[in-house]
Order: sequence, then C-alpha cells, then structure tokens
Amino acid sequence: MTSNNKVVGVGEFAVSANQGERIKTFALGSCVAVIFLHKPSRSVGLIHVALPDSRISPDIAAKRPGYFADTGIPAILKEMAVLTGTGTSNGLARGMVVKMAGGANVMDTNNTFNIGKRNILALKKILWPLGMGPAAEDVGGGFSRTVTVGVASGRVFISCAGKGEWEL
Amino acid sequence: MNRQENERAVARQIAELPLLSSSASQLLALGAAADHGLADIVRIVKHDAILTSRVLKVVNSAAYARAVEIHAIEHAVSLLGEDMVVTTALREAAGLLLAKRLTGYAAEAGELWRHSLKTALAAKLLAPKARSPVNGELAFTCGLLHDLGKAVISDYLEQTAGKIRQAIEQGRFPDYLAAERAILGIDHAEAGHKICRRWQLPAPLAESCRHHHQPAAAERWQGLLYVVHLADIIAMLSGIGTGADTLQYRLDRDYERHLELDEAGLNSTMLAVEREFAQVEDIFC
Repeated sequence: MTSNNKVVGVGEFAVSANQGERIKTFALGSCVAVIFLHKPSRSVGLIHVALPDSRISPDIAAKRPGYFADTGIPAILKEMAVLTGTGTSNGLARGMVVKMAGGANVMDTNNTFNIGKRNILALKKILWPLGMGPAAEDVGGGFSRTVTVGVASGRVFISCAGKGEWEL
Repeated sequence: MNRQENERAVARQIAELPLLSSSASQLLALGAAADHGLADIVRIVKHDAILTSRVLKVVNSAAYARAVEIHAIEHAVSLLGEDMVVTTALREAAGLLLAKRLTGYAAEAGELWRHSLKTALAAKLLAPKARSPVNGELAFTCGLLHDLGKAVISDYLEQTAGKIRQAIEQGRFPDYLAAERAILGIDHAEAGHKICRRWQLPAPLAESCRHHHQPAAAERWQGLLYVVHLADIIAMLSGIGTGADTLQYRLDRDYERHLELDEAGLNSTMLAVEREFAQVEDIFC
C-alpha cells in the first residue's frame, strides 16, 4: 500500500483510519502537536495547536478551533469519536494513547515569551480530566520539530534540521 | 579552509555581490527617510518597467480576489501599500540570494525568504508597541533584510549544522552566532551589515542586520533594533526559521525597557502575524 501524507497546518487537525496514510505537521516551534492513537479502531488524530486560550479571538476560534488548546481538543475529539464509533469521550479514552511534541522556546526566555510552556500546560489541563494525559512527550528546548505519524503503525517520528529523526 | 581563509572568502564574496537595481535601492532607502508618501513610491516604481509589471501582477494575484483588474500603477501601489511594494522589489532584485537553499544551516530553498517575510510582518506589527516612536515601514524593511548575511556565509559553514547544534547544547558556544564566528571569523549579523554597506543602504537597515541578536550593543535606533530582535524570535517561535539555527539565539530580556509587550499582547501579535503571513505567503513564497 502506498503511503500518502496528509499535511496538517497551523491551527488545523486531521483524523484518519486510512491504513495507507501518514499524518504530518511541519515546524512546530512553540506550537504543540497532540497525537491521538486509538488502538482498538486503528485510528489516528493529530492537531497543531498554536496558542493556549481562544478568548483572545473568538472569531478565529469559530473559524479554526484547532488554533487554540481550549477549542481544538474538543473539536478533534468530536471527530475522533465519530470516526472510531465510540460516541463519547469516555468511550474514546479507553484504548487511547496520547503523545505530545513541540512547545519549543528561545534561549534565555522569560515568562512572556515562553508560549511553548503555556501551550503544553493548557493542553495537559484539558487532557488529564478526560483520562487522556500524554503517555509520551518530546517538548520544550530550542528546536522546531516536524512530526509524522503512520496510521497503520501508530508510530510517531520527530525530525529537526541539524538533529536528524527519532521516534517518540 | 581554515578560519582566516573562510573570513577572506566571505569578504570577497560580499565584495563581488551584484548591486541591487536602482529602483530596489531607492525603495529600501525610502523607509529610512522621515517624510515620504505613496507618491514617492509610485515615482520610483514607474521608472522601472519590470518592477511596474511585477507590482501589477502582485496586485492582481488570485490571493487578493479582486473584483476588477487593476491597470494603473498609482492604484496598485495605493492598494498594496509600501510594505508589499518593497517586498515585490526586493524579491525581484535579490530573490535568488534570499530564496536560495542554505546548505550550511540545513535549510531548504525558500526558507530564508519565508523567515524574512514573517519577521518583516512581525516587526511592522510590533513597531507601535515601542516606547519611543518606531516607523512601521522601516521596521518591516529591516525585518526583510535582517538575516541577509546567512545567504552568503551559509556556503562556508558547509556540513557544520549538526555539530554546531550539539556544541551549543553541550554549552561550548553561547549561541549560533558565536559558533559562526569561531568557524568563519564573521557571523551572519556582521555579514549582513557588510552587504548593506556594499549596497549603500541607509544606516538603520545595516545596523538592524548587525545588531538584531544583540540590540543592546547598538549606539542608536535601539527601539527599532529591539523591534527587529523580537520579530525575529516571534517568526522562529511560530515555526518559520532558517533550519538548524532556529531558536538557537538568546532573548534580550531588556526589551521591556523599549517595548510595551505583555503576554496577551504577544499572543495577539502572534495571531496577527499568522493571519497576515497566510495572506501574502501564496503571493511571495
């Protein structure tokens, strides 16, 4: 089966149960990719979140919920629930493995510029009560990650210019 | 090549760089002039037939989804605004240099140009937040040019990208600039400054190349330089860098003395930069 790449841009998300597909998102910077691996249905979801809180722009949140942690996670989980046929987030949490990558920062950052850390915290606060806290993460540091996940394999790979590629 | 040889080779390449077109030089210089308006831009563009046709092509590009085709250059310039005309002119005059693949940074063709454009947009949006007046159009132009030096020194950095990253992570260099200097005797900031001098661009543009990572070291235009410093970091945080050196620089926290920028302000700026970049990316990248 040929492997097709589905590319997820900033503030977008994608879900897939197409076993020949890979989902990919480029150059996360301070943005965070959350990867949902639903083992029972062999489905995968990936969201590229840019900012923690949608309150700064309800307009954009309405058009592109994936942009923010608080609107993005419910939006992708809704699609995952439909795709996997589990219906609710409770059902979805069973058999779900969540991984997280990104949230980089600049050297000598202060709190204001540590958007990566704020993104990670906001996402975890949303995921934990759902029983979907990340099982693995590759976050922080001063590099911009590209993430690829294979639907069939459920394997997540991270790459970065000058650092090569490794598995999460 | 050893360090001295590298340094000489970089200097030679800068000295041999082709000059910018007269219209591009004039447009880049215009931003630094206190009093100027769209009429001055129109006058410069009109004298350059190729640039005129480019500007008309840009203003009529599908991304703007205009109802009617624009034929008059005056109309085109007023619709696009100074920043997009300057971008068109620089892309035309130095596109090969600014869009080239940066082997030394492990960056693909076009990455430097995308980073430059995003930094320029961020700089213009940050300019009103400076505590002393900073001209937004000038900040935009400085953002477009700030990493110019990478296009030249990249060739001499060769296969060092992975090694430099590792050395910084191990604490052997404080940042990427220091590593560049250790290998080449010159860093991309200084190289950019030299290129601006070669092109006879106004001092604020040359200084913003030279000091965009260390704005405190500058004697003048600190407000402008801090704006470019932060704009560069915003572009890198948003994921648009130039390969291996992305985010391998230090934030100068003294920016708070020069700009009013809190967490909410930064979030809104990042959002606005993303929106504006999405609008022009298809046209210029």
